Amino acid sequence: MSADKEQIVKNRRQFLLGTGAGLLGIALSNRTWAAVTETLPFGNGERELIAYPQKRKLMRITTRPPHLETPFAVFNEGAITPNDAFFVRYHLANIPMSIDPDKYQLNISGHVKKPISLSLSALKAMETVEVVAVNQCSGNSRGFSNPRVFGAQLGNGSMGNARWVGVSVKTVLALAGIKDGATLALFNGLDMPVLPTTPDFIKTLTIEHAMDGEPMLAWEMNGEELPFLNGYPIKLIVPGYFGTYWVKHLSEIKVLDTALEGQDGFYMNTAYRLPDNDCLCIPAGTAPTATKAISKLKVRSFITSIENNQSLKLGKATLLKGIAFDGGSGIQQVEISIDNGANWQLTKLGKDLGRYSFREWQFTYKPNKKGQAVLMVRATSNAGETQPMQASWNPGGYIRNVVDATKVNVV
Amino acid sequence: MIHISSFHSVMFVFFLASSPAFAATKTINLPPETAQLKKSAHPGYAIAQQKCSICHSADYINLQPPGMNLSQWTKEVTKMQHAYGAPITDDDIKTISAYLASTYGSEKPAVATPDKVAVDVTAKTANAAADSKNTELKNIDLKNNELNKIDLKSLLANNACLSCHAIQQKVVGPAYHDIAERYRQNPEALEIVMKNIQSGGADKWGTTAMPPFATLSNAELKALAQFVLSQ
Repeated sequence: MSADKEQIVKNRRQFLLGTGAGLLGIALSNRTWAAVTETLPFGNGERELIAYPQKRKLMRITTRPPHLETPFAVFNEGAITPNDAFFVRYHLANIPMSIDPDKYQLNISGHVKKPISLSLSALKAMETVEVVAVNQCSGNSRGFSNPRVFGAQLGNGSMGNARWVGVSVKTVLALAGIKDGATLALFNGLDMPVLPTTPDFIKTLTIEHAMDGEPMLAWEMNGEELPFLNGYPIKLIVPGYFGTYWVKHLSEIKVLDTALEGQDGFYMNTAYRLPDNDCLCIPAGTAPTATKAISKLKVRSFITSIENNQSLKLGKATLLKGIAFDGGSGIQQVEISIDNGANWQLTKLGKDLGRYSFREWQFTYKPNKKGQAVLMVRATSNAGETQPMQASWNPGGYIRNVVDATKVNVV
Repeated sequence: MIHISSFHSVMFVFFLASSPAFAATKTINLPPETAQLKKSAHPGYAIAQQKCSICHSADYINLQPPGMNLSQWTKEVTKMQHAYGAPITDDDIKTISAYLASTYGSEKPAVATPDKVAVDVTAKTANAAADSKNTELKNIDLKNNELNKIDLKSLLANNACLSCHAIQQKVVGPAYHDIAERYRQNPEALEIVMKNIQSGGADKWGTTAMPPFATLSNAELKALAQFVLSQ
């Protein structure tokens, strides 16, 4: 790939794997101490909880490269996901291990009037923007797919909401000057594949989207600099779009006047595709005839304050709460059903932190009948989108947003 | 990085290091890789260990849904070769898929003997592109290789050696020149290096573990070891 990746030379390709006992096959049991685990409610759902740098204990999905999922209980802590709980996801094992912020450069090239190279201090001197926005993994909840599909077997925890501060992509590209005929903006970060035959992780936005003022480069997350594993020092933020676009350790923006083809186009043209129809779905186990790139978040809601099969006291008022979000029109309402979807009531919405943010809701539930009850929440966006009662299916296990059911035992 | 050794376990404290300078370089140290593929007598186990670990840890496989059949696992392994450029042949795909489907999925385990593993050393690499893109491969001096029947270039490409090693400088593992230097005076150099390639491991040069290359024949191990020691 390009020479700008060589800026971080030291240790760039070294991932410290410790003693590598796993690869040696030596009988060093990794269970001699009690491995703390959490089990997700689907087959093969046990996950080791392990603390990574700057992170509390998170569920480990993969080690090399690191992929960490947030335990769902975190989302009951508040509308903002703490930095140390925020999920982590890489595709390629050659991740940066050491970054000198003084030497960091963002290179802008391609179909521009003047290619430029910007340091972090240059970026931070520009007009600052901020947004509170949800980053949700395209495959969040893939483990619940029925039938199951290959991929990262995630529960509902591969998402997070943060206040992002930085500079808009529009401001930065305007410095370079977009030439007539520009079609796409290409974004590339410092992480690289191990083999030259493996596609690099590269994402594109249409030039119109890149220049509409919303995509931004963030260096600050919830008042602190980005955690290393979430893309230090700068990360592309695409409010309302799935997390695949949120390129970490952003080092290159290239303006194109053609389509992106070949190996570099893999993560746009082959991966992260949905069936190209109204429901973005196909019958389970089939293959799509046409596909399109994943883009906007679909409206979604969760109960965060109770766990499945929790016991509640008959006649006691219990405050239920949770979150809702969509792809950027904002939440109009969150309804709750306490009788398995037969009847619905409005919940009370919490503070509006912005149309791209988690929106909190709450509802006081007073169970009046002993036995099992099934609770559901269903969000409707200001654009009129609502959650389906039946889950749809796609081969990638993407964009799940079905109404979830939570069972409680009234005692 | 602080290592705390206890009776039962070795624990690491993982933290972000900042050097005490004007604007601190940020460095990250990650927890050790402990995930392992499930052991099996199936010949696909050793091949999978060798090939899959080039690019990623075993938990990519260990956490997949249970009950996937041979056809499903085969599609997934084919994707590794086709989409991600994994250095595996079409025969490797069959063998690896059979191991995965019978160990992790719904296929009944077949009784297979190690003799049936056919590693065709002269087979074309699964990815000719790997040859053309890898300039180190182009510059290899083959004159030092006595065993002319072994296609050294294919061997290096098929096992992605040059993704972690270069001739003159350290990449992930030591430079071949440095290895040759270390063992130059050692009469058992050839055997040692052959064994190290076969078993992999860490702590001879650093903490990063080399995957084992357990399916290579003695002739292949010898060819590779001779090549390394002549650098």
